[in-house]
Amino acid sequence: MCVGLAAKVVKVQDGTAVVDATGAQRTVSAELLDGLEPGDYVMVHAGMAIAKITSDETQETEKIMGALN
Amino acid sequence: MNGDVVTLAMGGGGKETNELIETIFKKHFENPDLTADDAAVLDFPPGKLAFTTDGFIVSPVDFPGGNIGKISVCGTVNDLACMGAVPLYLSCAFVIEEGFPVAKLDEIASAMEKTAAEAGVRIVAGDTKVAGKGQVDGVFITTTGIGRVMDGVHTAGSSAEPGDAVIVTGDIGRHGCAILLARNNFDITAERLTSDCAPLAHTVQDVLAATKNVHVIRDATRGGVGTVLYEIAHQSNVGIVLEQKNIPVNGEVKGVCGMLGLEPLYLACEGRMVIFAPEPEAPAILEVLRRGKYSEKAAVIGKVISDYAGRVIVNTEIGSQTMLPQPGGELLPRIC
Amino acid sequence: MADCVKDGAAAAAEKILKSYSGRPLRIMEVCGTHTHEIFRLGIRNILPENIRLISGPGCPVCVTPTGFIDEAVMLALDHGCTIATFGDLVRVPGTEMSLAGARSKGAHIEVVYSPLDSVVYAGTHPGEQVVFLSVGFETTTPAACISVRQAKQKGLGNYSLLTANKTMDNAYAALKDSADAFLYPGHVSVITGTKIYERLRDEGVSGVVTGFTAGEILAALAVVVTEIQKGGPFFRNCYPRVVTDEGNVNALKLMKDTMIPVDAEWRGIGTIPQSGLTLNDSYAAFDARKKYALPKITGKPDPACRCGDVLRGECSPDGCACFGTACTPEHPVGACMVSGEGACAAYYKYGPGLALSADKENMNI
Repeated sequence: MCVGLAAKVVKVQDGTAVVDATGAQRTVSAELLDGLEPGDYVMVHAGMAIAKITSDETQETEKIMGALN
Repeated sequence: MNGDVVTLAMGGGGKETNELIETIFKKHFENPDLTADDAAVLDFPPGKLAFTTDGFIVSPVDFPGGNIGKISVCGTVNDLACMGAVPLYLSCAFVIEEGFPVAKLDEIASAMEKTAAEAGVRIVAGDTKVAGKGQVDGVFITTTGIGRVMDGVHTAGSSAEPGDAVIVTGDIGRHGCAILLARNNFDITAERLTSDCAPLAHTVQDVLAATKNVHVIRDATRGGVGTVLYEIAHQSNVGIVLEQKNIPVNGEVKGVCGMLGLEPLYLACEGRMVIFAPEPEAPAILEVLRRGKYSEKAAVIGKVISDYAGRVIVNTEIGSQTMLPQPGGELLPRIC
Repeated sequence: MADCVKDGAAAAAEKILKSYSGRPLRIMEVCGTHTHEIFRLGIRNILPENIRLISGPGCPVCVTPTGFIDEAVMLALDHGCTIATFGDLVRVPGTEMSLAGARSKGAHIEVVYSPLDSVVYAGTHPGEQVVFLSVGFETTTPAACISVRQAKQKGLGNYSLLTANKTMDNAYAALKDSADAFLYPGHVSVITGTKIYERLRDEGVSGVVTGFTAGEILAALAVVVTEIQKGGPFFRNCYPRVVTDEGNVNALKLMKDTMIPVDAEWRGIGTIPQSGLTLNDSYAAFDARKKYALPKITGKPDPACRCGDVLRGECSPDGCACFGTACTPEHPVGACMVSGEGACAAYYKYGPGLALSADKENMNI
């Protein structure tokens, strides 16, 4: 339902973005996201960048577990 | 040679055939044993011989890291190496599509020359046929090889034993990945990615010089390392446990697999051996491998156990256990 | 962005799960990707006996009714259309045959990675009538919307969608009693935002938005187990690095401008009101059902198939009599076995691993 891949934006132009996942690159649609810049990390699904990734997964998990106590 | 494409006449056996052989094949394969007669007559050292054959139909014929010619030598040389044999002689049979560019054929033969020289093997006999347009796709090559098995070496798929270390000679899945991208079906690029296609005769000889106490050597080709593991698990009737975090996969292969929902263990390789040897031999084997040109990233990726015979289990990155799914089925990108 | 390695937070989550000793819990992972990842990561082998993970209907291919495949086959064989589709749909059985079966009768099937690829294909193949099989939840639907918008802008007369898009909102009501708490689909939530889950909490339904790495899944489960023990319904966003409260505003607007809600049939669940999406009137020319005047088709799934029960979490894949015998990935009886995200497919691939005892002595290398 949700298979997504985290990738780094290397180029943005005309509503598309070239994204790089550890060396593999693909052009995806960037229409759903405003203000994308090279260097941003995005979640990609079915040829579209659907969200900006705002933190590292480890930081996120620590915050969630920290909030439990 | 007149014209720049292969014609039916060039397969006819007459003047045009001779011209093709002289200007392409003889030019690249010339050596004292290359026969001008119906068969090569050869000397063999005493001892056991290993003998194998393979057909090559890769598409596209060119890809980053090699071409069909290079693979046709590597594949057969590597099969001989799996039995602990020093490769001695190869034959090659070409079936070429009418209209195939002669310049491309020259590149292919040149790659074969180079790879054969590196592997220390001589091409001694060959055949050329030309089929009509559409009757074959570009060029198909079959190579047959013979080599002498090193004394004291006994490798077989049924010889893995509990306690063996499972070693892979380098990072996995690069050939399958390079071919996928060269076909450009998915509009994914990975500029630094090359096929892992390589002749491993010397690599294996170096390992066996360090120790002959090796149970299985198998080259991972179609179906990748994962398929080899299941084959050996069945043939030897043992279980295999893999350590996920030890499996070497390069970034580009990881990225492509992530984009397409593929498992790197099931992508084809063309220059990777899977070696099963008693665990105490592993450090020496790794040391030799890591000094080698095609095996710098060699790693112990698992071990053989007596339970769960026929199964391959994975210790995941979080320390839980799961099964490696069995090989099979088409490659289809997942919807989601 | 590294894969999860067992770090401090994930280990803490595991501790919480392993030390749970309360009443038996049923947690439903709605999303097909979660089903797959949970298997691949061996998560069930970490959980104690009294926490049961059950798979839900979040596999868009699995919940697509048999009749949809029949419509696609009709378009391919009777109308000569080129069918552009995600790979997963190719072997799903229809009443008479799958698309793979149609292909062997001469149908032209193009497997694509994204609907955006299929509109490009239509542009470069003007002689072919291209129909994209538009299945998917909110994560995938925006791409289909963009594809028809592009087709309209370019004046392509040879592109249309056969829609079976669905939304999750109203489906949760139908699943209310199937579990004590839900792992909400991470990437659907990226699009929809989290207000729906707050509403559900107010109606007594509990759940957490969950990510896809091992650490994120373990943390989400730990949060569920902790919150359940406090009593009272709850909602938490455990995937905040990607999921925001308001969701993806551009995507929501795009879907609103292109599609309208309709009642939709979910395999095994029946019709859920207003849970489907179809093209609105301004895109009527791109609606394959209108364009080719398709009759209403009610597909007939194989009577032995229990996909419906599996999708509602009432039957475990290996509880189905067909599982592994009549129904395998090579010859599937129902969609759950053929889709890459299907519960039955995941069980078939990884199921034998559930019997692995955590015999760490033997396993360590």
